[in-house]
Amino acid sequence: MTSVEIRGVTKTFGDHRAVDDISLAVPKGSVYGFIGPNGSGKTTTLRMIMNIFYPDSGEIRLFGDVRQGAATHRIGYLPEERGLYKKMKVRELLRFYGDLKGGDDIKRQVDAWLERLELTDWADRKIETLSKGMSQKVQFISTVVAKPELVILDEPFSGLDPVNADTIRQAVLDLAAGGTTVIFSTHDMAVAEQMCDFIFMIYKGRKVLDGTLTDIQDRYGTDTLRIRPRNGKPPLDGLPGVERVHDLGRMQELRLGEGADAQAIAAELLRRAPLQSFEIVKPSLHDIFVRIAGPEARREREVEHA
Amino acid sequence: MLKALRLAKREYIASVRTKGFLVALVVAPVLMSGSVIAMALFKDKVDTTDKTLAVMDRSGLIADAILLAAERYNESEVMNEEGEKVRPAYRIEVIAPDDADRLGQQLAMSDRVRSKQLHAFLEIGADVLAPTEENDGGVAYYGENAALDGMRHWLRWPINNELRRQRMTAAGVDPGSVPHLFSWTGVEGLGLFTADETGDIQAARKSSEGEAIGVPLIMVMLLFMMLLMGAIPLLNSVMEEKTQRIAEVLLGSMTPSEFMAGKVLGGLAISFTVSAVYVGAGLIAVRRMGVEQFVPYDILPWFFAFMSLAIVMMGSVFAALGAATNDPKDAQSLTMPAMLPMMIPMFVLVPVLENPLSGFATGMSLFPPFTPMLMLLRLASPQSLPAWQPWAGLAGVILTTLIAVWAGGRIFRVGILMQGQSPKLGEILRWVVRG
Repeated sequence: MTSVEIRGVTKTFGDHRAVDDISLAVPKGSVYGFIGPNGSGKTTTLRMIMNIFYPDSGEIRLFGDVRQGAATHRIGYLPEERGLYKKMKVRELLRFYGDLKGGDDIKRQVDAWLERLELTDWADRKIETLSKGMSQKVQFISTVVAKPELVILDEPFSGLDPVNADTIRQAVLDLAAGGTTVIFSTHDMAVAEQMCDFIFMIYKGRKVLDGTLTDIQDRYGTDTLRIRPRNGKPPLDGLPGVERVHDLGRMQELRLGEGADAQAIAAELLRRAPLQSFEIVKPSLHDIFVRIAGPEARREREVEHA
Repeated sequence: MLKALRLAKREYIASVRTKGFLVALVVAPVLMSGSVIAMALFKDKVDTTDKTLAVMDRSGLIADAILLAAERYNESEVMNEEGEKVRPAYRIEVIAPDDADRLGQQLAMSDRVRSKQLHAFLEIGADVLAPTEENDGGVAYYGENAALDGMRHWLRWPINNELRRQRMTAAGVDPGSVPHLFSWTGVEGLGLFTADETGDIQAARKSSEGEAIGVPLIMVMLLFMMLLMGAIPLLNSVMEEKTQRIAEVLLGSMTPSEFMAGKVLGGLAISFTVSAVYVGAGLIAVRRMGVEQFVPYDILPWFFAFMSLAIVMMGSVFAALGAATNDPKDAQSLTMPAMLPMMIPMFVLVPVLENPLSGFATGMSLFPPFTPMLMLLRLASPQSLPAWQPWAGLAGVILTTLIAVWAGGRIFRVGILMQGQSPKLGEILRWVVRG
């Protein structure tokens, strides 16, 4: 059973093709992460699912039905840029948004969520008095208060401090555990790795990745040597078979070329400097993202085009 | 539709709670009635400083009559019954005309006026008794504010009465032998006779300026105010919701049409509240003042019908333009042209009111964007319109309102999520055509 099914959808704004022939199926109850660089088409895709934008071609099915114009009460939507009436009080605003969705028992739901996200003391304050993090939590509650079957979150963790990010993350996971389908976009690859059942990457309007994290990593093979030096970064120049070094500060990831001998490289590294640890791993989502959309990949494509 | 009503309710509550709304509700009528009261209070507050007029009578026929008339005026008009001075006394200074240096004398007299020794000076032509275009038969009044000068108005009476008297005498008629020769008879304005339900004929009512001008103007001003409060703010309100990204949240719950409908219905509810308060308070005041006969009860349903349609029509346009703009400057520059359908009727109020049955008045009031204000004005005037005209106007407004809602909806749907530079008018029209 799929909650969202996208078939061959294209959307163009003027001369710019924002989304190009995308197909996707989001299983019911799954957590689906949308990743991709800025301007790649994530938000446009989410807005088309919400029926805010209409696709130029292709079809979007929600809960098995082709959308026919009406926004549905079965979906909760958190836009990338938050939109709250500044002069309204928190509780009043949440009830208004909940009622607009036609949810049941909105008053009780609002109070329960306010308590859960530690906003009860702020319930009768105006939105304009809240901090950015609090506003974001209020916006999140407004998205989920009517108990939607599908929740679409566009960058839900951007601008949140770690404590608030954890609170929202746990709330999202709880919703998923309760059977709610969750689609969210993020720039935080670690969050996508930790939370998502499926990851979908869009780049320049086209789908470039779609599957579970394991599926995606398998496609790239075990080609990464991750080292943690004991006393500062060792000299990494001239290592045979190493295509690229990704310096993470106290840790470095070395991408190995085809046929490179990981053991030999590790031995060479140990000769150069003492290591606390080293492991041969699959590439991280971050690394895969950079391989697809990073400057190196762009340069390679430019050379190909030339 | 339920969602539109929920949004309308929010809009209504949010507006009603603001201080601006309370100010508009209470202060505006207080200010308006206050200015009327002030005008009535200050109507008789005139400058009572005596005024000296220099008279240069080249004919030698009129100056004495003016002197005599001023004496009578000073005796009878300057003091009221309580002995208070309520008007200025007129002092007349007869000056011999200097025909050798006429211009020099005129300049000297003007300087005396400028130095406040004189209020004004009057020149009476030598041939005033039998004036023609060629001879010196004119009478000229020179003052610093001659056009609006009360003394100049007053002078017309003694001068003309004296001229008539002398012309009759010259013709061999003794003016004293004709009673009431110089009495002036006015023409009283009255309405028409009517028959009541029992067939009794009701006498015609005295037609007052208040009824002929006041009632229609109040109705139209009220409609204009309702448009200012209910329709025009939608432009800024929608633009703010768009720039603050509230629009996108709402569109996650409702269609653009429901969104626009909610905004317009909210504006309509605000207008109904305010107009109900104004009309109710007005009726109470009118009854207290004992002038209830002037209240056009039969016009009130037309007022509310035209008001509702005008707000939906203009509200849709303003909401659509709000959706199409991205910053307050663009919104401001669009407000003026979009207000033209409300402003043009205000410019033609007087000619329409003077001749409500003229071709101009009929044509203008049947042009749908102008119909709500101008048809209401004509309906409220004492003259009876052909019965089909208000209904034809109403039908035109309903049709135009439907078109405005449809076109506004199309602009709204495209514009509400469009960021960046505001679109040009041509692009907005393309949205209407293509959807």
